[in-house]
Amino acid sequence: MKIVVPVKLVPDTSADKRIDPATKRLVRTGVETVLNPFDEYAIEAALQVKEKAGGDATVTVVTMAPDSGKEVVRKALAMGADDAVLLSDPGCAGSDVWGTAYALAGVIKKHGFDLVICGSQSTDAGTGELPGALAESLGVPGVTYARKLELEGTTLRVERETDTGYQKLSAPLPALVSVTKSINEPRYPSLKGIMGAKKKTIAALSLADLALDRPIGSDGAKTELVALADPPARGKARIVEVADGADGARVIVEFLKDRKLI
Amino acid sequence: MRDVIVYIEHSGGKPRRVSLESVSQAKELAATLGGSVHAVVLGKGARDAAETLKAYPVDTIQLSEDADIDAFLLDPQIDYLEAVAKGAGPALILVANTMVGRDIGSRLAARLDAGLTSDIVGLSVSDGVVACVSPKLGGITITTCAFKGDYGVAAIRPNAFKAAPGPGAAAIVELEKPAGKTYAVRIEDEVVEAAGELGVEEASTVVSGGRGVGGPEPFKTILKDLADAFGGAVGASRAAVDAGWISHGHQVGQTGKTIGPQLYIAVGISGAIQHKVGMRTAGTIVAINKDGTVPIGEFADLVVVGDLFQIVPELTASVKELAAAHS
Repeated sequence: MKIVVPVKLVPDTSADKRIDPATKRLVRTGVETVLNPFDEYAIEAALQVKEKAGGDATVTVVTMAPDSGKEVVRKALAMGADDAVLLSDPGCAGSDVWGTAYALAGVIKKHGFDLVICGSQSTDAGTGELPGALAESLGVPGVTYARKLELEGTTLRVERETDTGYQKLSAPLPALVSVTKSINEPRYPSLKGIMGAKKKTIAALSLADLALDRPIGSDGAKTELVALADPPARGKARIVEVADGADGARVIVEFLKDRKLI
Repeated sequence: MRDVIVYIEHSGGKPRRVSLESVSQAKELAATLGGSVHAVVLGKGARDAAETLKAYPVDTIQLSEDADIDAFLLDPQIDYLEAVAKGAGPALILVANTMVGRDIGSRLAARLDAGLTSDIVGLSVSDGVVACVSPKLGGITITTCAFKGDYGVAAIRPNAFKAAPGPGAAAIVELEKPAGKTYAVRIEDEVVEAAGELGVEEASTVVSGGRGVGGPEPFKTILKDLADAFGGAVGASRAAVDAGWISHGHQVGQTGKTIGPQLYIAVGISGAIQHKVGMRTAGTIVAINKDGTVPIGEFADLVVVGDLFQIVPELTASVKELAAAHS
């Protein structure tokens, strides 16, 4: 059984991001690139499915990133994934959700798959739209926001988080599942895992290897950035020490009345 | 693009407010584009939802109560929406920026080869091209993106637009079941744990608790009471969620939800960067903290320094009193 985990490389989540006023681009200098934290839950879920399935099950990590992303991908291999595929091509630059999903689907189809497990969102864009678009591009059922995932033969049993509770779902393979933080506690790479990861294969693909029938990157993007603006400035906060609960409530109520919020 | 199609989220026949906000915005857009507004409402209760929609400025209400819609996850809805979109021709499709809306939107955009924008707080049309405004990267920049191609899908942020009933001549259209489709992801069971509660993405006021709250109890008592007094929702910082005090669905921030309510009340939250990026585009931010030097002071509007366990219940009482005086 082939399990595939698409991952994203994102700016370190503890860094305060800012836009360079001159170039209008995200300042990346001094900001470390890390594996999207949500993807660690997907890798853990994939490893658990593999361990339970046994036999010839494999976990392959795929990503679209520059060559420099290799070392970050190695963390996924250190956790226990068997190998990785890196789609690295200048033509990928500027891809929107659609283009990213389309290209990743190309990589995943080329590799072959029974089950695709994604993190539910990235920490930079954070819209959680890739899993759905990827399921469509792969032409398989997509189950988002899984908090529990089990494989019985070739049937997936999933508990899916909703706004108001959860659903119990079943789906046949092949399928795509995106998982939330509630699903597991990702393992730390062991020393053995870290050493072993150095010998694992990270295959490099370019867009030419995929022979996609439509352009991706900025040329294929279905949206175009026309303007960037600074957010409206917020005045300096009023800081008020209050004597007791009633005083605190009074200060807040007056403030909210001024702003016509109550 | 000519027509505007609005996907209506509803629970048991009651449309979500964000869907009514989207519908209200659609009329003006469609008028500029020279097209019509179609509201699409699917699943059990669609007919009841259609009754509510009649009071809004839409041209057609397209509905189906096909049992497959509630028996299978998403796929039947995508098929119905695809059929409506292809029937309408080049169109702008509005969904809500919620878990459901983004799920529907991402699938539909891929199906239609359409552009996809999310967390939209402004929409405009110039020379027939639709552009969408949204805060990005946790609100550090505001982007305007224009759609290329025949179709575009925009996920609308709750509370960004006003719901405004208006004259509509809505014709009700029963949708035909898309032919030749089979569905695989079966909903075996649906468990509702928080019936009638608003999610943090949808509420116009969010009261969030952090490490300073000290345990799970206040989320169910004083914070919930305050949120209820505002008709809002309870949120939480990562620290509170990781400590197991409240479920992940309530988490606001980088590894949770990004929201922009009119009013955000941060209780016992220091305001680390992970939290800040999830809420700094809120209209007004009030912090209640025992320490006046916490980072949240750098992006809040008001920081009240005192004992949250005293202030929050007093504030709840005052808000309730004011609400009672106005009703």
